[in-house]
Amino acid sequence: MRVRVVAGVLCGALATVAFTGCGIPERSEVQIDERREPATEAGSVSAWSKEPPSPSNSGTDSEAFVRDFLSAAAGEPDRAYDRVKQFVAPEFKSRMQDKRGSEVELTVVRLTDAPVITNNVDRSAAVTISVQQVGVLRADGRLVPPVSTETTYEFGLRSASPAGTADDGGGFYITDPPNLLLLSDTALRDYYEPQAVYFWNSDRTRLVPDQRYLPLTVPTERRLNEVVKWLVDGPSDWLSTGAVGLPDRTELINNATGGNGRWEVNLDMPGDDRTRADQFVTQLAWSLPDLDGKLELKVRNNSIVVADLAERRSRALYTLQEGPRRYCVYEGAVHPLEIAGEPGGTVPLDPGANRNVVSAGLARSGGKILAALVVTGSDGQRLSVGTGPDPVTAFKKGPVHTAIGRPVWLRAAGTEQPRGLVVAGGRLYRFDQNAQMTPIALNLPPAPVNAVAASLDGQRIAVVVGGLLYVAALNLAGGGVTVGPPRRVATSLTSISAVDWGDENRLIVAGSAGRPAIYEVSVDGAVQTPLKDDTGAKVTHLSTYPVNPTIPVPSGAFMYEANGVAYRGSPVEQIQRGEVGLVTPPPSGVRPGNPSAPFFLY
Amino acid sequence: MASSPLPPPDTATARTRGAARELWRAVAGRVARTAAGVHRTWRRSLQFRVVTITLVASSVLVGGFAYLIADKITSILLESAKTDVKLRLESGADYATKQVALYNQPQEAQLQETIEGTVNYLAGGDPQQTSGVVVVITAQDFPVIQSRTAPAVDGVQRLISPELREAVADGNVASQIATGRLTGERTKYLAYGSPVPTRFGQIELYYLVPLARQDATAADARATVVATGVALVVLLGLLAALVTRLVVTPVRVAARTAQRLSAGLLDQRMVVNGEDDLALLAASFNQMATNLQRQILRLEEMSRLQRRFTSDVSHELRTPLTTVRMAADLIFAERDGFDPAVARSAELLQAELDRFEELLTDLLEISRFDAGFAMLDAEPTDLVPIVHRVVERLTGLAERVGVPIEVDLPEHEVIAEVDPRRVERVLRNLVGNAVEHGEGRPVVIRLGADETAVAITVRDHGVGLKPGEEKLVFNRFWRADPSRARQTGGTGLGLSISLEDARLHGGWLEAWGAPGQGAQFRLTLPARAGDRLTTSPLRLVPEDARLPYGGPGDAAPLTIGPAPGGALAIGPAPAREPDAAGAEVPS
Repeated sequence: MRVRVVAGVLCGALATVAFTGCGIPERSEVQIDERREPATEAGSVSAWSKEPPSPSNSGTDSEAFVRDFLSAAAGEPDRAYDRVKQFVAPEFKSRMQDKRGSEVELTVVRLTDAPVITNNVDRSAAVTISVQQVGVLRADGRLVPPVSTETTYEFGLRSASPAGTADDGGGFYITDPPNLLLLSDTALRDYYEPQAVYFWNSDRTRLVPDQRYLPLTVPTERRLNEVVKWLVDGPSDWLSTGAVGLPDRTELINNATGGNGRWEVNLDMPGDDRTRADQFVTQLAWSLPDLDGKLELKVRNNSIVVADLAERRSRALYTLQEGPRRYCVYEGAVHPLEIAGEPGGTVPLDPGANRNVVSAGLARSGGKILAALVVTGSDGQRLSVGTGPDPVTAFKKGPVHTAIGRPVWLRAAGTEQPRGLVVAGGRLYRFDQNAQMTPIALNLPPAPVNAVAASLDGQRIAVVVGGLLYVAALNLAGGGVTVGPPRRVATSLTSISAVDWGDENRLIVAGSAGRPAIYEVSVDGAVQTPLKDDTGAKVTHLSTYPVNPTIPVPSGAFMYEANGVAYRGSPVEQIQRGEVGLVTPPPSGVRPGNPSAPFFLY
Repeated sequence: MASSPLPPPDTATARTRGAARELWRAVAGRVARTAAGVHRTWRRSLQFRVVTITLVASSVLVGGFAYLIADKITSILLESAKTDVKLRLESGADYATKQVALYNQPQEAQLQETIEGTVNYLAGGDPQQTSGVVVVITAQDFPVIQSRTAPAVDGVQRLISPELREAVADGNVASQIATGRLTGERTKYLAYGSPVPTRFGQIELYYLVPLARQDATAADARATVVATGVALVVLLGLLAALVTRLVVTPVRVAARTAQRLSAGLLDQRMVVNGEDDLALLAASFNQMATNLQRQILRLEEMSRLQRRFTSDVSHELRTPLTTVRMAADLIFAERDGFDPAVARSAELLQAELDRFEELLTDLLEISRFDAGFAMLDAEPTDLVPIVHRVVERLTGLAERVGVPIEVDLPEHEVIAEVDPRRVERVLRNLVGNAVEHGEGRPVVIRLGADETAVAITVRDHGVGLKPGEEKLVFNRFWRADPSRARQTGGTGLGLSISLEDARLHGGWLEAWGAPGQGAQFRLTLPARAGDRLTTSPLRLVPEDARLPYGGPGDAAPLTIGPAPGGALAIGPAPAREPDAAGAEVPS
């Protein structure tokens, strides 16, 4: 009997094993392969110290609280509303309609006065801030021109302590807040880092800088990702005339990642253009000057380019042969300036042409000298243009104008068809090597053009029209010069008289801030720094050598003329007569003239 | 209250139980019958046994191999799938690690987008072209991060078991097979999970890879293996049946042939086919049969010749003997006129001639038996007169040797279908022998009968027979003591002839004897000629015979004790002293 039972059990077990043992089971035990290392090191805490202040930061200082409120939106846009709402009284929080993602916009304003805080009897206060609209900071770091024209914002302030308690130790709450995110220009300066990104010009020969703002809270590792996104999104609107982005429908696949000298960008780019990809890497290399190591660019997971970023940057961004040389006009002729510690120069002009000069614009281009001189004649002023190897001998004369401003050469035009811009009689002209002057229409309300300046890349100009400062992109295709829609640069300077480029994205602007002054203003107007608070008189002539990575010089290489006296900066010093080189001593009794219209040759 | 319309539940249960028991009994009975039938077949059929053993053994073997192979195939498929998935998972986890490394806090909105993008990227981007692989990122420790699945399907949570979650959340790369329904059909999935380290902690990446293809392949392989195995087992069974049949059939033929041979059909032979072992067996068998047949025939011939010789010699001797006899009779009749010494010789001659004639008669009788010419002339006969006749005839001899003959016969007649001449001869022989060996003690003749048989015993109290002599006494010319001179006219053939007579009747002639106790012979004959005998109405061993060790006496106790040589000895217990026993009784 037992034998049968055992046999039955065995058979049953065998059958069970046979039917369940073979084949993939319905559910198996959890099988542990290996243990992965725990999470990597915690995030870089340093970035978080750049967080905008919290409501409790200001204590009992209501004005500081208002200023903190105007800084609260700074940082990563995702949580901008959260940060701002910490300042807002609970009953008003619902008033602010949250926006998410790319819709978040920060209205950047410049306080023209300290906030006016009027205390009421019920321990609340009314706050009025007078502002200048600077622009709208978008989630993608662009500061676009302002849409609002408000000059004041009003909102309330109340103690955060419950009613009836005397002290203000609990801080404040904003009541009745404006339904937008305000950001002061100082907060933009404090909590953002201006970042230049580069786009190719239309014929893909030069890189054009574009100004963006990156919150300081963004960790270093994500910087590449943000920059790639910006590059994929294309240049700012005002630059689109002169610069092009990546092909349409180009997208970044997930994030650009990397670390330890190895970076990876995966794009979804239509077409299989290896040159474009290569150019994109160059763009990236210049847009992230601090990033070193290898960058691998993939297009739809296929590795297209692997390049060393530092090696990409070893090629010059700008075609500059040598450092700047200072010149001025002295006694109706162009003379070099001999400043101690700087190399002097010779006059690259035929002495026969170097006469009756009022102002001059010289430039080097591929071994040649481009020379545009404003000379006076009996009937007025003319443009005298000559190109050629040093010294330039052949000059052609242009039409007569009553007054011609300093001519500027457009470096992007190249050697074959050199072109320049000049203001004559309140209008903007372009001129060529034959001194032909063609008026250029600006898409602006009619007003006299005061000054023009071309950037180092030659694709952008700054132009002063009616005392207001504008920037615009150029399109030089087909031998012509087309000026894109100008963008107003918000600055607190008024009655602007002269402008030139201080670096890739900054302008040196001379105007009036109550008194005549020279400011350094970012190309979007967000940041302005006084360089010279009081020039004593209106600056009529301003010239700079822009700070650039190709041939760097100490910053602040600018010279100006005010009230007939030439100065150089900074620090600002008057250009002495003795500093003018190659001067034959004047006959005695004749009162020597002053050096005027200083400019740089580079 | 007092009576319920429904039967109490106990009754129903009991009825059910009873029915179940009935059913069980029926089933068990059927099974037992079948088992008994199988068992019988098992014992009887070598072929069945061999085929069954082959089937069972090959089933176990093939089943084992099939299991091994199927298991191996499955594990190989599973391993390769696992390796694939693991590679994907590792690269996916690396990718996800890089992607989420940009974020310091789980709350960041872009992190959620990144996770979604990562999941979509790892799943292959285009949900239309996926191979059913589902990629999931979960954040066990961060509820603020929502789980993302690509392609977006429901039911993923059911496929990732809590154990797997726990293992992966613990920082392990772990896998599990789970079954569930994600897109349409219920499918087995291999869920592989890996932790993804981030700056703020750990999130988890899972790959859910459908194992439908592997499952189908494994099922195919299994089916193939099983089919092959079954075919193999069936083939082996058939083969075993065939081979066994090849062996068993000649063996059966041989058995049948042997049976026929033993039944006397000596010319039966086996068919010899080919030159193999079975042919050798058949040939040997046939040779054996031939040899046996030849030997038997030779012996028969020899026996026949011998009998013929005896018969012939007897006949041939009779004619001169008749002449001698006539001469001897003449001499005997004239002996008174002879010299006393010659007269004595004539008497001796006469006596020895009588014996010679008797011997010849017996020899002729024997040779008739041997030749098979003896015929039974059976008729209903009363045996009582026969006994009386024999006793009367031998009374003279008995008186001469001083042996009284006692007869114990039934009151009524005892009728049996016998040949009276032969029965009388047998009785005469037995009583004559008893008187001869009676040693002066009485000879008892007893006649018994029942419905089927009659029996006559003849008891003497002479020297008896030694053990083993009960059979020898029936041999021809046998003497208990060869040195003893034959006193009476016994030829040495009497008991042999009597035995043949008894056999001719289909009856028994048996002897019993013990040294010093005399002997008893019993003739048992069927009441009707041709019937088979089963019992005898009279005992062979007389009632007054003592057992070899002296017998137990009248219900006296026996003792069993050790005997020399390690044997057991059984004997009468020593008698107690009654007085001693009585003395022990307290007064």
